[in-house]
Amino acid sequence: MTQPHSMINKGQGAIICALCFVLSAMSCSSNNCPLESTVTCNYGFYDANGTAIAYNDTLTITTLLPGTKTQYTYQLFGHRTITSDVRIDSLLEKGYTETVSEVRRDTILGNRLAGLATMKLPMSFFSGRDTIILRYASISRRDTLYIQHSSFSNVDLPECGTHRFHTLTGIQATDAAIDHVEISNANVNYNGSENIRIYFNGIATEE
Amino acid sequence: MKPIIPLLSLVLLLASAMPLRAQGNKQEPQQPQKFVALVEEAPKLTFFQGFTLSADVFGVAQRIFSDYATFEGALRLNLKNTFFPIVELGFATCDSEDANTFIRYKTNAPYLRVGVDFNMLKDKFQDNRLFLGARYGLSRYNFDISGPPIKDPVWGGSEPFSYTDIATTSHWLEIVVGVQVKVWRNFHMGWSVRYKREISSTKNQYAKPYYIPGFGTTTQTTAWGASYNLIFDLNWGKTKHTAREVTLTHRPLQQPTDTTSVTPSDSTLQQPQQQ
Repeated sequence: MTQPHSMINKGQGAIICALCFVLSAMSCSSNNCPLESTVTCNYGFYDANGTAIAYNDTLTITTLLPGTKTQYTYQLFGHRTITSDVRIDSLLEKGYTETVSEVRRDTILGNRLAGLATMKLPMSFFSGRDTIILRYASISRRDTLYIQHSSFSNVDLPECGTHRFHTLTGIQATDAAIDHVEISNANVNYNGSENIRIYFNGIATEE
Repeated sequence: MKPIIPLLSLVLLLASAMPLRAQGNKQEPQQPQKFVALVEEAPKLTFFQGFTLSADVFGVAQRIFSDYATFEGALRLNLKNTFFPIVELGFATCDSEDANTFIRYKTNAPYLRVGVDFNMLKDKFQDNRLFLGARYGLSRYNFDISGPPIKDPVWGGSEPFSYTDIATTSHWLEIVVGVQVKVWRNFHMGWSVRYKREISSTKNQYAKPYYIPGFGTTTQTTAWGASYNLIFDLNWGKTKHTAREVTLTHRPLQQPTDTTSVTPSDSTLQQPQQQ
């Protein structure tokens, strides 16, 4: 008397069970848009020898925008020069002289930042050159960074929206407090890697 | 006691006479009796069992509840009802717009998969099959992607976001598990579940392909797929159920003294005759 053939023997059944388990386990991974999806150009601060530092001066960072604006400058002998985007009649009553000029528009990217070791700044979407101005609290001069780059739009997943990535092509800087600058990673995206190194004058000392 | 003695003598006489009679019968040896029996051998499968044409209806129905659809057919060889080399050819369409970002992705392109299925059923003669298989997939396609204009929040300005005909080639691998049951004659139906893993796609700085024809959406590097197939078995070879004739001889328990009439070949199993 022959035994009826089972459709699947034990070994095959075990393989199928193991396969189902593996496949179901693999399906547990999740789909996420990047948690940090802001595209910024990341700067690192170094001393002249290349040691990473926290810059102990207070920095105000501005950038030039397209177009011009009317700027009012008030001067009085023995007093600090005052600039404003709007007319200040009270200063005229105090004896200040007013100078009206057309200057490039600008905006503040970082205001009175102290002890910076790194900074993250946006880049222009449609301009090939950004001008970043660094004003120091302890130095009257200021430094200007000129950053050349190309930009392109990128979609990773439609649900994550559009991002504007950049590729750095060149950088120059003035020398008020900056020794030199260099591009460390030309690809500017949202992965957080350092893109530009700013080497300040002087050598860091251990405290 | 005396009347019993003659009776016992008679019984012993008769008993002793019986072997003599048997010895006398051996003068004409009993002819071996031949029994011819048909013993069915294990049925054999020819190597090439034909081929199978199938069409997937799940991919078509997918259009009802998603933004994409596939139109797919397959040609599958049947080797010993065990191994099934297969070529799957399809055409996929996708026209999807995200409800939140309003980014639209569009592609229409063919794709190709090649691979092999293995029938895991122990009984290879039945018409039902349980498959485990693997595939390599390939698609060369162009896609369009567009969305709302890009606006610069700091410097100002905007630019339309629209790229068309981005040429891409994608490769992927699949593991397939499925069943197939006979419905009527050579018509079968079956379903399969596929686990897919993308190997590579052409890099493009503007966009990653959101939907790869034949693979599916690329929200992850892996994807799941399913198919429900209408299958037509076009049998080329026939399953062979062979039988052999076995001749048995009936052999006496005791070796006869005169063996001249019984040849050794008669006393053993004859070689089977293959039909």
